[in-house]
Amino acid sequence: MNLSRICTLVDLKYYLACALQLEHATIPPYLTAMYSLIPGTNTEVARILRVVAVEEMLHLALVANLLNAVGGEPNLLSKDFIPDYPAYLPDGESEFQVSIEAFSPRALDTFLRIEQPSRKHSLVEGEAAKDRPYYTNLRALLKVDPNVPRLAFDTIGDFYEAIREGFKYLYLTMGPALFKGDPARQLTPEYYYSGGGKLLPVVDLRSAFDAIQLISDQGEGYEGHIFGHEGELAHYYRFKQIQYGKYYMKEHCQQGHNDDHPPTGPELDVDFNSVYPIKPNAKLRDYPEGSELRAAAVDFAMSYNEFLGLINKAFNGQPALLMESVPQMFRLKEKAQALVRNKIPGMENLHAAPIFKLPK
Amino acid sequence: MAYAQVPLRNVVDHETASKILYDVVIVGSGVAGAIIANELSRNGFSVLILEAGPGHDFTIPGHEKNLYRFYSAVAKDSNAPYPATPNARMPRDFETKKLVNGAPDTSNSYFVQNGPFPLESTYAKVVGGTTMHWQGSTPRMLPDDFMTESNYGQGRDWPIGYDEIEPYYQMAEREMGVSGDVESQKDLGLRFAGQYVYPMQELPLSYLDKQVSEGLHGAQVSLDGEIYSMSVRTIPQARNGVPNPKYDEGKGYQPVGAVNTHQTSLGERCQGNNNCVPICPVQAKYDARKTLAKALGNNALEKNISSGKRIDLLYQTVASKVWIDPATDRVSRISYKAYGALQSSEHKSGEVRGRIFVIAANAVETPRLMLASGLPSTSGLMGCNLMDHPYLLAWGLMPKPAGTFRGTQSTGGIEELRSGSFRRNQAAFRVDIHNDGWGWATGSPYSDLLDLVDNQNKFSKDLRSGLVDRLSRQLLLAFMVELPAIKSNRVTVDSRYCDALGNERPAITFDLPDYVKAGLAYSRQISRTIFQRLGVEDCTHYDPYGEVGFGYFTFAGQGYLFRGGNHFAGTHLMGHSRNDSVVNSWQRSWDHENLYLVGAGSMCSIGTANTTLTLAALSFRSAEQILKDLTSTSGT
Repeated sequence: MNLSRICTLVDLKYYLACALQLEHATIPPYLTAMYSLIPGTNTEVARILRVVAVEEMLHLALVANLLNAVGGEPNLLSKDFIPDYPAYLPDGESEFQVSIEAFSPRALDTFLRIEQPSRKHSLVEGEAAKDRPYYTNLRALLKVDPNVPRLAFDTIGDFYEAIREGFKYLYLTMGPALFKGDPARQLTPEYYYSGGGKLLPVVDLRSAFDAIQLISDQGEGYEGHIFGHEGELAHYYRFKQIQYGKYYMKEHCQQGHNDDHPPTGPELDVDFNSVYPIKPNAKLRDYPEGSELRAAAVDFAMSYNEFLGLINKAFNGQPALLMESVPQMFRLKEKAQALVRNKIPGMENLHAAPIFKLPK
Repeated sequence: MAYAQVPLRNVVDHETASKILYDVVIVGSGVAGAIIANELSRNGFSVLILEAGPGHDFTIPGHEKNLYRFYSAVAKDSNAPYPATPNARMPRDFETKKLVNGAPDTSNSYFVQNGPFPLESTYAKVVGGTTMHWQGSTPRMLPDDFMTESNYGQGRDWPIGYDEIEPYYQMAEREMGVSGDVESQKDLGLRFAGQYVYPMQELPLSYLDKQVSEGLHGAQVSLDGEIYSMSVRTIPQARNGVPNPKYDEGKGYQPVGAVNTHQTSLGERCQGNNNCVPICPVQAKYDARKTLAKALGNNALEKNISSGKRIDLLYQTVASKVWIDPATDRVSRISYKAYGALQSSEHKSGEVRGRIFVIAANAVETPRLMLASGLPSTSGLMGCNLMDHPYLLAWGLMPKPAGTFRGTQSTGGIEELRSGSFRRNQAAFRVDIHNDGWGWATGSPYSDLLDLVDNQNKFSKDLRSGLVDRLSRQLLLAFMVELPAIKSNRVTVDSRYCDALGNERPAITFDLPDYVKAGLAYSRQISRTIFQRLGVEDCTHYDPYGEVGFGYFTFAGQGYLFRGGNHFAGTHLMGHSRNDSVVNSWQRSWDHENLYLVGAGSMCSIGTANTTLTLAALSFRSAEQILKDLTSTSGT
């Protein structure tokens, strides 16, 4: 298998399976940060975290559409699908880890690093990868077999660019036969709307490109701009607003504006103290055997896995089930909020946190 | 989903506004005013909106302030979320009292109640108007409803019919984002042009609706020699659901999310929070600020920038007098009183000028302003023919838990008796199945909680299970009964009774004719039939001495009680000439050619449909005529 470039349908499906894992991997950290906010406070922060998490779910669904379009079978239930947090994402010179932890300046910093725009557009041709300020080693996150060669791209944006190239290349060789998946397995727009973007069914090369474009736009922005070409604020800049305590105004942002242009809109209230100090990367063993707290943590993890199970069914031929996942998400929130209100016995002032993966 | 973006700097100051001759001055920022403002400003005309109430904070935190005001309010009436001010008072249902010895209630409630029935209906005075607290039900009126005088000898015919309004219904349904099922509405005799579907698919029936539907299956009633089968169908409503891909010839529909000044996200699909009235926490329900957002956004249009045409909003600015130029009979200006602090009556007076004036202040406030300006109209009908929907409530306990308190407040209804030959003898009605239990009738769930704690000494798990057992079996049927236009039901003003700014308060004279009482009585009879079929334990009781005993009446030896429907209409109705009506079918005043009185007040009948959709449709229709007026006189 040549992993630097997609040459076969098998490669493409492999990349898309990795993409599925990647899109999901950010959801537990964003949700946990949101759950840690004391209800009634930080409502503006909660909304930003929520919209980003919801859009990651959209990306997950779009990747499922891409995979289904080429006859693949999305699988959210494999044993390594949920990462073991903290998951390390080396950034070249120093390392940072993605944790599931309370909302804090540190967590915010991690989120910004996750959504950091690709510097590709400003790079001089031939510039060495190691000179780039941040890049993501997907292998570490995705548990890619260490024996296979290192993936030949350095940011999430580049990763999707490789997928795009793969679609293009395979379409040239295979023609419309590439899209042999059953269209009935596609998730269609009525199942999703929120901040922005659309759940596009993928049936041909054009719609495949559109889906990929939407994923990269919403994450890092269209060619690194603050607002994507659909006029939507990129995740990186949504988080930047929390750092600045101010909102971006589209009418004040121009092409080419980036980090150097701070937001100009209304104030955004952030209160890092109105947060439950939950235990970072909590594990089941942190909760005393036989305690109600442990039972509640197990209950949350099981509910989360049921939720993934339901989505998995929706991704595999029963799209209408996606609707049923909505009340499940409300229940997850209630269960998580019930957990984080409680201190963990024997851990000073640390509060309970949701766990997403039960030990085998 | 697009959010409804409001420009950051969206208000003008009074001094600047008073120097401008606007193309159109609109009184009221509710759904009618907002639609007309958007239509005119996007076509390049300047618009000034005067809003009496506060509520200019278009941000989500601003919305949340209202939400928390509601959560913490003890009396959770329809206006509980919105800031109150004595300078622009809102009627509060808890202010309504039984009249003592039939004497008018001139006490400190906002409405002066002349009786014989005091009316408990309300409206909101805030930016966005009463759509801020409406339930969002958007049934169309039936073709039959437009000609009740010709067909049944009741009320008044409209000068236009259903088919003339149909295209405007479609515009209103797009603007407000209606979810519904066209096929089940067609069964009622409604006609839809072409391959029309609603912008969004119907909201699903609640579990409670389905239980009722199953129990009703095949139930028939005989009335005036005709047989009616009763069934449960979804209620069309202006609430975000699943967009219909077939809408707009396959182009689909983009729902409009929350209102805000900058990009965040809120404004989801309806998620069944069950407090649509008085406030939807996630803004899934349409409110007129979504249209105002578009209207104010027109300031950024290239053509408006280059021509210097602006759309401006002055809030906390109460229109106090309409001035007529005696030489031309045209409106020359409107005086206002603008206040700052909500609790202080300190205010500044001023005047605004326009080429055309639109009063869209609702069916009580519009005639109130006209009458207070000494303008009863040639026909003398200004303020007359006040309509509302009297509601009869019937409530009971389902034989087993039915999931009450889940879902939006109403998702299903029984609509077969909205029309028929019986309308010659008794009023028609439609039935809403309430997903919010007995709340409207008894104050549930709060009243149940008090009873369980205070009277039954329940606590902890017993209290929880006791509540679940009582609440999840509650069934409340609300019978919306038609009330035809009757001249003596009316809004007047009396200079003895003024508000904090010295503006005359509306005085309400209201009675129910036997025609309507017969419809209410028959509703009670039907409720018994339905309850029997469902095995429901009937808990309905009408207490003449209770808190809402002012709606108690007897008919044919039986006692009943009606509640106000908040659907004011008819007070400046449309007709064929200046002698039989206040406005023409375009809602233009017969007496003053540059004045439009817009809203449910223009409606000659309201049938058994909530009024907002129809008045929104009429607003689109009027906007077309106003555009013609402005174009034909531009340059003059």
